[in-house]
Amino acid sequence: MTGSLLPLLVVVPLLGAALGALVPGGIARAMVVLSPVLTTAGGVALLVTHRDTPVLAHEVGGFIPGIAIPLVSDTFTAVMLTVTGLTTTACIVFALITGEARLRYFPTLVMMLSAGVNGALMTGDLFNLFVFIEVMLLPSYALIAMTGTWRRLGVGRLFVVINLVTSTILLVGIGLVYGVAGSVNMAVLTDMDADDPRFRLAVGVLLLALTVKAGVVPMHGWLPRAYPATSATVMALFSALHTKVAIYAVFRIHQTVLDGAAEWMTLLLVLFTLTMLVGAYGSLGERMIRRSLAWQMIAGVGYILVGVGIGTELGLAAGLFYMVHHILVMGSLLLSSGAIEHAYRTNQFVGLAGLMRREPVLAVIMALGMMSLIGFPPSSGFFGKVSLARAAADLDGFQLWLVFGALTVASIGTLLAMSRLWADVFWGPPMEEMPSRGRGRTEPPVVPEDTRMRLRTLVPAGALLLVSLAIFVVPGPLGEWCLQAADGLLDVTAYVESVTTS
Amino acid sequence: MTVLPISIGILVAGGVYLLCQPGMVRIVFGITLLSHGANLVLLASGVSAWRGEPLTGTGDPADAADPLPMAFVLTAIVITLAVTIFMLALAMIGHDDDTLHMPDTGEDHRA
Repeated sequence: MTGSLLPLLVVVPLLGAALGALVPGGIARAMVVLSPVLTTAGGVALLVTHRDTPVLAHEVGGFIPGIAIPLVSDTFTAVMLTVTGLTTTACIVFALITGEARLRYFPTLVMMLSAGVNGALMTGDLFNLFVFIEVMLLPSYALIAMTGTWRRLGVGRLFVVINLVTSTILLVGIGLVYGVAGSVNMAVLTDMDADDPRFRLAVGVLLLALTVKAGVVPMHGWLPRAYPATSATVMALFSALHTKVAIYAVFRIHQTVLDGAAEWMTLLLVLFTLTMLVGAYGSLGERMIRRSLAWQMIAGVGYILVGVGIGTELGLAAGLFYMVHHILVMGSLLLSSGAIEHAYRTNQFVGLAGLMRREPVLAVIMALGMMSLIGFPPSSGFFGKVSLARAAADLDGFQLWLVFGALTVASIGTLLAMSRLWADVFWGPPMEEMPSRGRGRTEPPVVPEDTRMRLRTLVPAGALLLVSLAIFVVPGPLGEWCLQAADGLLDVTAYVESVTTS
Repeated sequence: MTVLPISIGILVAGGVYLLCQPGMVRIVFGITLLSHGANLVLLASGVSAWRGEPLTGTGDPADAADPLPMAFVLTAIVITLAVTIFMLALAMIGHDDDTLHMPDTGEDHRA
């Protein structure tokens, strides 16, 4: 693969989106499956290419380097493209099975979303990052407004307002960076004096906006309210794409532009460990499967970003490894919950019971997914947490105790929350014999005795889980890629050289 | 040049005040003010004094204005305008989180 093919990863989904709007029906649905498959294939091809050439860059439009908008790919980008492409494919297959993809503009919006995500992952220019994040968000607003329960209309406002305000802050940050540095090209910004207080303030504003979008405590409150109100498919898509793109940008900007400022380390570690703890225990207050999982998403953000907080090669690699694991497992759990909702029309704890006997396949998939989330073997979560702990062992004093303590206590929190979910949903009497069924205005519908899930609704969740299990059995290749990606973040010479000379 | 920072300050203060108000329309106005503030920040990152047109062949490049912040602002205005329209639509069809009234969207609310 050569650099000049990189724009295709944005152009193909965008063209697909336009065609999907013009030619609805079967053709649009075929394209919406094909586009993330192509993204995944592109990601894998890039992974293979990056074994020999660490960085590929393309100056869009053939302008001279420094003026052109560069699209850059290194191992980090390639890993992210592969994983997000894979998860998007699973979500879309699920939408096809449940019939959600038949909504008129669903294929178009999803393809626009993936064009924005691919662009945001590849761009080497801060302003372009803002534009691609907006390209990703605009179809998301529409997806929230057209799927899910009636609550979505209220919650859609919350999502739009939060994202627009943080985008404005991001824009202010970009303006300040341009004012100080005279460029928004990340390769040029690596030459800036990272100790210049004005430059630090500008990049700090940027990072603030990105951490709100990522859902870092104490700016996390919008996420567990907004996401569960959409449909399970859209929530799985958002969980794999939105917060993860923001986290990707935090990794990239904090390491390459700011050289991983060391004196912020304690502050960052405190914030990120707090995110782990709040997310892990927040689930305990919820009575719906997807709301409970939304809090675990916040915990996951904490785990991933602790890798940035540690800032060593091992730390960054561990954070990246955890991100891959978290995207896959969260996707699997959310799509399982979607399968439950498709069959039983509810995901409230009070409406569900005894699913272990009733739906053995679902029980196996969700049990393994939850174990992965907690960090038990046999799952990718085990190596995710082990590698984070290994990286944290290089810290000393207060920071060491902080990260180790938080890793342990937060894992126990996740264990408690998942046990409660399991006890409420999978144990208990058969659903027809449940004594009291629901309270308030959203009383769950009565389930006929012969209602069962169709097995094919579980295929996407099962497929994502299998990838997670495969990572447990063969963690080597992913570990290698993560280390290579961390090297690329720490040593930016290849990145800069590739962008400024191609 | 103190006019620009003061205007940015007023716009942001007004925007934040309106964002903290109940009611979607006020929030939309607040975001509009806030994004104007952000646009002025972007403009201020170029040279804010009057300069020549940044077109080739119209004069010495040393006298020309920096075109990049203007391009940034133009992009940002377009994006904000699109989202503002969407938010105004949400203000019409949505309901407040505090009320129990379900909007009539022509579909089954229990689903």
